Amino acid sequence: MVNIKAFTLVSAVERELLMGDKERVNIECVECCGRNLYVGTSDGFIYHFLLEEKALPTGTTTFTATKQLHRHLGFKKPVSELRAASALDRLLVLCDSCISLVGMHSLEPVPSGARIKGASTFALNENPVGGDPFCVEVCILSVKRRTIQVFLVYEDRVQIVKEVSTPEQPLAVAVDGHFLCLALSTQYIILNYSTGLSQDLFPYCSEEKRPIVKRIGRQEFLLAGPGGLGMFATVAGISQRAPVHWSENVIGAAVCFPYVLALDSEFITVHSMLDQQQKQTLPFKEGHILQDFEGRVIVATSKGVYILVPLPLEKQIQDLLASRRVEEALVLAKGARRNIPKEKFQVMYKRVLQQAGFIQFAQLQFLEAKELFRSGQLDVRELISLHPFLLPTSSSFTRCHPPLHEYADLNQLTQGDQEKMAKCKRFLMSYLNEVRSTEVANGYKEDIDTALLKLYAEADHDSLLDLLVTENFCLLTDSAAWLEKHRKYFALGLLYHYNNQDATAVQMWVNIVNGDVQDATRADLYEYVVDFLSTCADQQLVWAHADWVLQRSQEVGVQVFTKRPLDKQQKNSFNPDDVISCLQKYPTALVRYLEHLVVDRSEQKAEYHTHLAVLYLEEVLQQRAAPSHSDTTATETQTKLRRLLQKSDLYRVHFLMERIRGAGLPVERAILHGKLGEHEQALRVLVHELGDPAAAEDYCLWGSEGRGAACRQHLFHTLLTMYLQAGPAAPELAVAAVDLLNHHAGEFDAAQVLQLLPGSWSVQLLHPFLTGAMRGSIHAGRTAQVALGLARSENLLYTADKMKLKGRAIRLSDQKLCQLCQHPFTEPVFVRYPNGGLVHPHCAASRHQAPNSPSPGTRT
Amino acid sequence: MRRPDAKVVLLGGASVGKTSLLRRYTERRFSDSVSTVGGAFYLKPWRALHLSLWDTAGREQFHGLGSMYCRGAAAVILTYDVMQPQSLVELEDRFLGLTDSASKDCLFIIAGNKVDLTEQGGEGDGHGPRGPRQVSREDAVALYKKILRYRMVDEKAAPAAEQMCFETSAKTGHNVDLLFETVFDMVVPMVLRQKAEEPVETVDITSQKPPKRTRSGCCT
Ligand SMILES: Nc1nc2c(ncn2[C@@H]2O[C@H](COP(=O)(O)OP(=O)(O)OP(=O)(O)O)[C@@H](O)[C@H]2O)c(=O)[nH]1
Ligand SMILES: [Mg+2]
Repeated sequence: MVNIKAFTLVSAVERELLMGDKERVNIECVECCGRNLYVGTSDGFIYHFLLEEKALPTGTTTFTATKQLHRHLGFKKPVSELRAASALDRLLVLCDSCISLVGMHSLEPVPSGARIKGASTFALNENPVGGDPFCVEVCILSVKRRTIQVFLVYEDRVQIVKEVSTPEQPLAVAVDGHFLCLALSTQYIILNYSTGLSQDLFPYCSEEKRPIVKRIGRQEFLLAGPGGLGMFATVAGISQRAPVHWSENVIGAAVCFPYVLALDSEFITVHSMLDQQQKQTLPFKEGHILQDFEGRVIVATSKGVYILVPLPLEKQIQDLLASRRVEEALVLAKGARRNIPKEKFQVMYKRVLQQAGFIQFAQLQFLEAKELFRSGQLDVRELISLHPFLLPTSSSFTRCHPPLHEYADLNQLTQGDQEKMAKCKRFLMSYLNEVRSTEVANGYKEDIDTALLKLYAEADHDSLLDLLVTENFCLLTDSAAWLEKHRKYFALGLLYHYNNQDATAVQMWVNIVNGDVQDATRADLYEYVVDFLSTCADQQLVWAHADWVLQRSQEVGVQVFTKRPLDKQQKNSFNPDDVISCLQKYPTALVRYLEHLVVDRSEQKAEYHTHLAVLYLEEVLQQRAAPSHSDTTATETQTKLRRLLQKSDLYRVHFLMERIRGAGLPVERAILHGKLGEHEQALRVLVHELGDPAAAEDYCLWGSEGRGAACRQHLFHTLLTMYLQAGPAAPELAVAAVDLLNHHAGEFDAAQVLQLLPGSWSVQLLHPFLTGAMRGSIHAGRTAQVALGLARSENLLYTADKMKLKGRAIRLSDQKLCQLCQHPFTEPVFVRYPNGGLVHPHCAASRHQAPNSPSPGTRT
Repeated sequence: MRRPDAKVVLLGGASVGKTSLLRRYTERRFSDSVSTVGGAFYLKPWRALHLSLWDTAGREQFHGLGSMYCRGAAAVILTYDVMQPQSLVELEDRFLGLTDSASKDCLFIIAGNKVDLTEQGGEGDGHGPRGPRQVSREDAVALYKKILRYRMVDEKAAPAAEQMCFETSAKTGHNVDLLFETVFDMVVPMVLRQKAEEPVETVDITSQKPPKRTRSGCCT
């Protein structure tokens, strides 16, 4: 057990002051009340001293006692107990089994001679039940067997209020409110003297040991238990604290929060009530009195009186911290709550938590440290400042004074151990990251974020980028210098961007891509820059780097214009004409851009559509001119060209027709004819020039798109006619005509077609067309019939609903009369007409011609 | 210091392993302990409550303190050593009487410790005899039923014996968490019920019955 210094023992009254050299006279009892110290002796004297406390610069305290008076009580008997009642200015003196009252300052007996006779010992109630401030409650153990008496003691009279008998002889007593805590001869009990109820605590043997009963606070007592235990018990008879472990022969106990002191023949021991540990042992021989008086602990031998001066709690806590006893220091600090004013306590406790945190930190106990820092609301800059150069140069921070720890910096703390240093830094990173968004960071977010940035950069940590792309308070100049030092150029760009210096940021990145500086953070940095520019609102900046991005790759570079986020007001978007003129040097990019305008943005300007079509056309022509060209399939560009020509209505058709004429592009030409409404010409090109019936069929479908069935039928008939007109000279067209009919039976008016067909064609040949046409016509007829049937049934349903709505509940009573004969109904049988009229069944039968319908209606 | 909401007390003869069980549970370790002097106590936050766990001393010298420790207890864990039949007998003879002061609906739990020393339990460590177990689970169940009778609780109203008899090893940790946490979980609703039943601040003076005498004096 490591000791701490909780008390120092100082002398208060030297023996010379008391009895001089009277060898056989002993101190019997002591009382202390404020500065008044009383001593009762074995030869019947009472001494009165004034205590003077002096704090020495060394931090210790001394006491000097000045004798005021002494008086002999007039008996040759010892003064066995003394108690001051300061409110009454009286001293209660027990001598020769009699309690008498003397003046606190005169030591004169009260004139009335009031006294309590037959007391073997007594106790004052420190938690009195009566409200009278001018009396004290005294409980005595009577010399009569097994009797306890409770008195009220006034200035000059006494009054008995209660006498209670106990099952065994009581030996010691303490009082709290109505509760007496008693040591009987074989056990301790709690006795409520007002109700008479008692509660056993625990047994002990009074023959082996002197009992101790001591009130230690509201409703709680301390008792000497078996095996040298100091037991705690409440008035409810339960223990709320674990016992302290004394030696077997304890003769006195006292409490000075948070400590319990005990006296035996050799030592004074000090235990903490907070953790039950023994904290201090002071050698003290021949002691026989140990008592506390309002927080002052006095110990006496038979010859001298001493005071146990508690060291200030803060000093004790600091001592514990200095010896790294964190747990105990915290327990003690927390326990000090009741002794220190609230504000002062909080300041003190926070500081202790922080100090404890640094002790744990220095031992690399990071989890514990973190919890302590958090609960101690540590200014994180204390922690940051341990790491050299992390705080920004502009930071106003200075470490707390007196310092929370003894370390100059991390180097000293880890004694240069790199591994430990890295661990500390990792902890700091995670800790800063945790607190930066909490209120702990308020007021110095810049310091925290800048420190975090530096740590990340140094450790090459991925979170560096996350920090920079989310809200942060990194200081620009400090961070920039650090990032540059650690070659984090990409991150540096992000930092500039975050600080609204996009131009510098982009230039930084361009330098990396160009290889002027080295930073491999992103392999796709070029694409990143393009992406960045495409969302960048600063047009100037985009123009400044347009050539650079396009030179690297037209396909990707053009995205700075094409991938821009849509904004409704078109405020930030570029003027297309400017872009187009810039892109003249970059044909691929230009095509992409025009596609973007025409397809993605559906720009309605004819110029762009025509321009795009011309560019496509040029490319197609170029491809055809190339020697490797084989014209079996349409190239990608050709497909695009066709799609544009088909889909767009905005390009200048005649202009393109000019360019295309004679270029050998029949499909494209047919589309252009179609655009002009010249379907027959278009079909002719496809049928006669291209000789591609499939293309002609497609044309019919495309040309009539969105224009109704009539238009489509017209196109198909035109095509059919064109096939048939060719006559036997072109048998392949006759085949095409048959296929057309058989594949698109639905698109023709069968009656008209039959007129056109040459008589020589067999039914077999046109079988699919004819069945299709038949089926179509039958289907149409049947569909019409079904629709008719459905409409009928719907009508019927409505009629039924209407009927239902008209019908109501029918009430038949003696008062109701038959509408025909005007007699009441005698039986529950009637006839109801649809108009609601009720009549007797026989009346209805006799008057056959009913008002509305012949149906009999509802019967009940 | 926060006032605990309920008390759980460990009772049982010397060296059956009460301190070791508590230490295993609270500190997650097992080490040789010295015989407990007086008692010790831990504060355990559990759900919304604070429970106090009392470790008592099993030695005869401290027997007299048991009754005070048990006063108002919400649960008592009676502990014996599965290798020492006498330790189970003692529970009935010496310790059961101490629980008279416990709360009226106090829970009783029986824990047979040191199962690691039985042949099924695996390796021993030289403490106590190794070999076939000396106390069977049925003996513990029988004791539990006896306790119910002693407390005059209807067997059907009380938790089933099988549920309240544990076999543990502080050394290996076997069933230790289960033991304590089962107890805590049973105590919580009890405490909440009590709190709901008697609002502490109000005193109903009309329903105050004349208090029973706890000590029988002479006839009045
Ligand atoms: N093998 C084994 N030994 C155990 C176990 N539990 C406790 N022991 C040992 O038994 C001895 C007594 O254990 P304690 O926990 O001190 O017993 P206790 O019940 O607290 O005893 P008292 O404090 O005297 O009442 C110690 O030597 C422990 O190491 C266990 O589960 N298995
Ligand atoms: Mg123990």
